[in-house]
Amino acid sequence: MNTRSATRTPVKKPAQSGANRRRSGTSGNRSAWLRHHRDCASQSLMRLLRSPVSSALTWLVIAISLTLPTLFYLALSSLQAQTEQWQEGGQITLYLEQGLADSEGERLTGELDARPEVARAYYISAEEAWESFQATLSINRQALGLTNNPLPASIVVVPSQQNSSQLEALQLIIRGLPEVEDVQLDLAWIDRLNRFLELIYSIVTGLAVLLGVAVLLVVGNTIRLAIESRKDEIRVIKLLGATEAFVRRPFVYLGIWYGLLGGVAAWVLVTAVAWWLRSPLTAFLSTYGIEANVAWLGFTDTLVLILASIGVSLAGAHIALQRHLKDAEPR
Amino acid sequence: MIHFDQVSKRYEGGHEALSSISLHIEKGEMVFLTGHSGAGKSTLLKLITRIEKASSGQLRVNGQILNRLRRSQIPHFRRNLGIVHQDHQLLMDQTVYDNVALPLIIAGEHPKDVTRRVRAALDKVGLLEREKYRPIQLSGGEQQRVGIARAVVKKPAILLADEPTGNLDPGLSRDIMELFSEFNRVGTTVLIASHDLGLIARLNYRVASLQDGKLMSTPFDGRRS
Repeated sequence: MNTRSATRTPVKKPAQSGANRRRSGTSGNRSAWLRHHRDCASQSLMRLLRSPVSSALTWLVIAISLTLPTLFYLALSSLQAQTEQWQEGGQITLYLEQGLADSEGERLTGELDARPEVARAYYISAEEAWESFQATLSINRQALGLTNNPLPASIVVVPSQQNSSQLEALQLIIRGLPEVEDVQLDLAWIDRLNRFLELIYSIVTGLAVLLGVAVLLVVGNTIRLAIESRKDEIRVIKLLGATEAFVRRPFVYLGIWYGLLGGVAAWVLVTAVAWWLRSPLTAFLSTYGIEANVAWLGFTDTLVLILASIGVSLAGAHIALQRHLKDAEPR
Repeated sequence: MIHFDQVSKRYEGGHEALSSISLHIEKGEMVFLTGHSGAGKSTLLKLITRIEKASSGQLRVNGQILNRLRRSQIPHFRRNLGIVHQDHQLLMDQTVYDNVALPLIIAGEHPKDVTRRVRAALDKVGLLEREKYRPIQLSGGEQQRVGIARAVVKKPAILLADEPTGNLDPGLSRDIMELFSEFNRVGTTVLIASHDLGLIARLNYRVASLQDGKLMSTPFDGRRS
């Protein structure tokens, strides 16, 4: 420490004033830094609230831009939750050869269950099938005049992925099994549904990106105007020794506030629209016998929405500062 | 404190605003810079404040060679300068107090020190009772005094003024110059650009005169007698 300052002083001439400044300490600097952050945050908010109409225009545009993709996302996740229920319908039933021993059937079930593309597989023995058949019809074998159980043993396979290519592969494997007499499956509609959902998902993503760019531009333009209107002030404080970060800080916070207000407003809009559509949508779907659950934005989704809004707004502010702060050099 | 060695400034397009200036202002000196408008006074001050960069030659201010100053170092360099503008450049939407406090806030001073030092600076220029006013509510002379209070609130080593009395009547101008003399008496190096030759003549300080970007004369060159 001593040797360092001893070698330093002769090199740097203005050591006197520099040392004095340094003596005020890093902790002092840090608290000054924190103080300035706090002041900038509150002053930017005050500035924003002082012109409520023009600032409301900005964060409403942000809110509306974010509402659209969020609503689509919400619809999509409701639909996906629904299809997850239906995916049980995507199960494959393998009817085994008559007379195949239960141990064989169970071994085969175990093998299928171990496959990665199979979520679960369970064995229904001929006896079990018969019992559940009787229970359903409330009759017994004798009443039907049967002495033997006519039903075959079966294996029910629930695919883990509803991805079409994997399903096809699984189907091929199952058809190739010698013990399998017949395969009953209905996967084509799931395949179609999945492709449809993938399409919608791509559209929503594209839309979200486009509208995200819109938010970026809106915030960028708003910050540009703010910089423009305070150009003289920026020139003055730069001449008084303000660092780049000091000059940028209030505008960065302005971006954060716009993002936060826009994000919260978007949440309100999304929730309002979801509430508005809830009963007509449920009524509509129930005519198809679908008991729909209109999803609300959960805590995580809300957090993601607001953070995304802040993030995009910050990026917009950053771009505006990058491009327009140069014009405010002292003259 | 301020050392020009063969400093020239050419703007893009070839106009030479300053040619081969050599001027040395020692610590604690007070110097007037005169010349017609367009003679290069403002350019010279802009070089010292590092708004402009010299095209050739070496300029050393407060021990730092300005041509070698990195962009990130400029703010810290400027904090050792007090700058008074002709149009005072106050922030009109803030109070007198806030205007004067600005250099201290920028330097990250503690709020307690800020209050004490702002009051001291305002007291020095005789505007203590005006701290809650907005600059627009003050007269031209008072606004200029606020500008001076802002320039000296950090007790800078160097005080620069560009036509500080340009918009003021003679009586007020004398008061303002008297203020600068006071700061000089306590050790501040002062450089004032002014074309008010009558006023300058009555004050007994060194005068550097610019004409067409060249330094004409510095009567009693060296230290003030």
